[in-house]
Amino acid sequence: LIRDALLQRPGLRLALAVAWLVVLLLAGWLIAARLEFSGDLRRFLPDARTPEQKLLIDELGEGPGSRLLLLAVSGDAPEVLAEQSQALHAALASDDRFTVVANGADTDLSAFPAELLPYRYLLTPSFDEMPLDADALRDAFDARLQDLGSPAAGLVEPLLPSDPTLETLVLAEGWAPAAAPQRLFDVWFDRAGERALLLVETRAAGFDPTGQLDAVDTIRGAFDAARGDSAATLQMTGPGAFSVDIGGRTQREAQRIGLADTIGLVILLLLAYRSWKMPLLGALPLASAGIAGLGAVALLFPGGVHGITIAFGFTLIGVVQDYPIHFFSHQRAGLSPWKNVRGLWPALSTGVIATCIAYATFLFSGVDGLRQLAVFTVAALAVAALVTRYLLPGLVDPAPPDIADSPRLQRLWHRIEALPRPKWSLAVLAAASVAAIAFAPGPTWQNDLSKLTPVDADAMALDTELRAELGAPDVRYVLVAQGTAPDAVLAATSALRPALDARVADGRLDGYDMAARYLPDADVQRARQAALPDTPTLRALLDEVLVDSPFLPEAFAPFLADVELARTAPPLTLTDLHGSPLASAVSGLLLVHPDRATALVSLSGLDDPADLVALAAQTQAPGAELRLLDMKDASESLVIEYRGRVLAAMALALVLLVATVWIALRQPRRVWRVLLPTLLTLLVIVAVLRLAGVELTLFHLVALILAAGLGLDYALFFEHAGDDRADQIRTLHAIIVCSLMTLLVFSLLALSSIPVLRAIGSTVALGVVCNFVLSLLVARHRAAIDAARAEPEPVA
Amino acid sequence: MCRPRPRACLLLTTLLLTLPVWAAPQAAEPSQARPAPRADQSRDRVPPPVAARGREVDADWILHRLTRPPPQSTPFLELRLSATLRRPLVVSGEYRRPDADTLVREVRVPYAETTTIRDGEAVVARAGRSPRTASLARVPELAALQGSFGALLSGDRTLLETHYAIEADGVPADWTMTLTPRDARTATRIAAVVLRGRDDELRCIETRPKQGDPQPTLLGGAASGAGELASLDDALRACRDVPR
Repeated sequence: LIRDALLQRPGLRLALAVAWLVVLLLAGWLIAARLEFSGDLRRFLPDARTPEQKLLIDELGEGPGSRLLLLAVSGDAPEVLAEQSQALHAALASDDRFTVVANGADTDLSAFPAELLPYRYLLTPSFDEMPLDADALRDAFDARLQDLGSPAAGLVEPLLPSDPTLETLVLAEGWAPAAAPQRLFDVWFDRAGERALLLVETRAAGFDPTGQLDAVDTIRGAFDAARGDSAATLQMTGPGAFSVDIGGRTQREAQRIGLADTIGLVILLLLAYRSWKMPLLGALPLASAGIAGLGAVALLFPGGVHGITIAFGFTLIGVVQDYPIHFFSHQRAGLSPWKNVRGLWPALSTGVIATCIAYATFLFSGVDGLRQLAVFTVAALAVAALVTRYLLPGLVDPAPPDIADSPRLQRLWHRIEALPRPKWSLAVLAAASVAAIAFAPGPTWQNDLSKLTPVDADAMALDTELRAELGAPDVRYVLVAQGTAPDAVLAATSALRPALDARVADGRLDGYDMAARYLPDADVQRARQAALPDTPTLRALLDEVLVDSPFLPEAFAPFLADVELARTAPPLTLTDLHGSPLASAVSGLLLVHPDRATALVSLSGLDDPADLVALAAQTQAPGAELRLLDMKDASESLVIEYRGRVLAAMALALVLLVATVWIALRQPRRVWRVLLPTLLTLLVIVAVLRLAGVELTLFHLVALILAAGLGLDYALFFEHAGDDRADQIRTLHAIIVCSLMTLLVFSLLALSSIPVLRAIGSTVALGVVCNFVLSLLVARHRAAIDAARAEPEPVA
Repeated sequence: MCRPRPRACLLLTTLLLTLPVWAAPQAAEPSQARPAPRADQSRDRVPPPVAARGREVDADWILHRLTRPPPQSTPFLELRLSATLRRPLVVSGEYRRPDADTLVREVRVPYAETTTIRDGEAVVARAGRSPRTASLARVPELAALQGSFGALLSGDRTLLETHYAIEADGVPADWTMTLTPRDARTATRIAAVVLRGRDDELRCIETRPKQGDPQPTLLGGAASGAGELASLDDALRACRDVPR
């Protein structure tokens, strides 16, 4: 009854289609509001196994190098730039998103909490060699008298009563970056004096593109406010800035391509079916699939959906656009839409089930991001197939012109059937592909993730330059001490200092930084306490030293009190530093967990990593393990492991796919006809990519799965069309439209400047062409071809 | 650039901010050779007879008088106060300009210390310690200050006025020239530098910091003629008063 009503009332059909669209928009809005996006790339990485991988993933995502942004302000007079640097510093330093903001302005010890000031006698190395005795004091007072006589007297005088040895200044000097840039107008400038320089450390991990984007936007906003109407510009480099930049570029490019695709698809559908309703109806299953996928992921992964899942997911479910096309191409007068779709269902459902099973293998990959991808695609494909089967038939025009009647298509079909099909050619193609894959020169795999997201040469050069100017630490190498207690790892890194200092002195290293520079371990602090004189001793010393001096011994009571406090206080720990200017410097270099602690030694300008590997091995570190971590090595080993899992999942997927097709088609000949084009296409794609010198990445692998899914569909439908001439022509039409659409989308991606998009685009575009040709030539029934050849070619 | 020691750098920066003032040329000849001071020339003087008062000076007149080729030297005397000291610290020594590009501040009493500014570098040498060096070129505000005093020495008023607002007051026998820094950053540290002199002799430089007490530096006849300075008031009086 409902079906009759739908068949007779085009207005009702259209209204229902629009209603469906509205429901989808509403659902999309609802899901978008609930969806928690996570930008943490670590969810797309497998669990760490080696200690290096653990460090990389667990610690260094929050490590100092990856969170560092290097800023350069240029394009105005130095004093104006200096003011902007100060304004930027003021804006960012008070922002919770940044742990360190440095522009070279003096370390302000007034910001050091007053109750921690007496601790200077535990932090300073001044009295390690020579104790705080009469000689040291006499020396200090002599120097202070000269300071009072200098024009800088006003600066020194207030410090004198509590700090006659000027330990606060000794510490400030010691804490200053080892290789700081020059200072103009109180702030850091490059050597040429044209760019004011700043160093910013984000709280967000380097693995967190969302956090990095937020940080970069905040800095840009603060700079715009600081700049006013000056012509100055801000340049930013560092891992975070690069990831934001490449992310933005990828998104812009993907959007441009997406827009071109949409226009292309609408035109293609209008041309193919000569009906303005087709683009709307054709889009409904895809939109439903996307919403279903998002909904499923939001439901099953309340912890957040990764942005990459969404991007990959929508790429992979592009295949569902084919489902309504097959349906439309077979619809004609005299055939009920429901009957039509029932007829197509065996081929359609076999394809969908096989692909779903293939994607489901990702559920067992052990990688959170891939699991999300599996849930997304399986839900989306199933929903798209079901709505095509049960909802779409009610909405299409039941009696469009029969596509099989098109003389042009008939001629095309006839010519295709006349093409020679020597069986040996497939064997040659397969053999040649295998040979190409085996013997193509160059490495097969690309393990360097950074090659996929290339930073342009200018930005890279700027980064190198700023890194050298600022003495910023190397992103690749870091010395690491791991142990159970903070003191053990602090002591272990501290033990490296003489060797590191020697390397800095002879130029093998530009500089280093470690938490122990700011916070000595408890043993060192206790040793310093033991060496400090008690109050009566110190008072007697002062009286002795100052007896003939211009200084008044009584004026130095605050000094006596501070030393006594330092001598008797419990040693300073990381927690005591909270809220002090030192906390941020130390917390980036000392990572403390309840059961373990890691101390990092950041290195800059390292010439010979092997030398430090040996140093780490030689250095005695009780209770701690020292190693030089090569982050590039560690991340590449992760990539290799990741790829291993994807390949295993793909192998399993292939077996399951074959099994599904086998169960569905039952006869070995039919199974063979369907699977041969798909499998051969996979070989050809890899062969062509390898011959073109492309090093394969994870993105190629994921794209291969999509290509296989498409090929399977093409072959299934060609095979399903059987011997009927009209059905063959309708199927030909459907698959031409499908493959043109897919080719359009992915060849635009293949032309992209961004390697990730290019990898996916080129792989799938190659796959579409190859699948189309091979399915057309191989998947069809032999009898149908012979019958067609016997017919005369139709004339126009 | 004072790379490894930022605080030392700050000390030197402050030192250099005020130091070039002493670069003002001084005649080595004893002040006794000058005409005897008139009794009425004190800060709170009674108006002198019209004939004796002479004409009012202007900046050009002063600059013209101060301009003199090197080598020159002049004694100086400064007084510092601190609650940590038993009595005010009086530092004395000599400023020298051996050539047009070099300025030396040599402290002789109560300790020995030599600061040499040459080729854009300041070197502070103290007895028994290795000298510390700071570069002026890396600190353009100091380079500008250097340049401005170069202008003072060469009598280039136009150049001097790009760095300071100049105000001249007094008569040839008792004049003051007040320099107010135009550069906003310098102005945050120094309110004004007041030069006082008699005829072609610069007798005192009073640096007025934005915060704290004024810092007098007695020069030439004012330095050698100063008696026991027991307080800042004594020193300021010696700076501001032309001897009767």
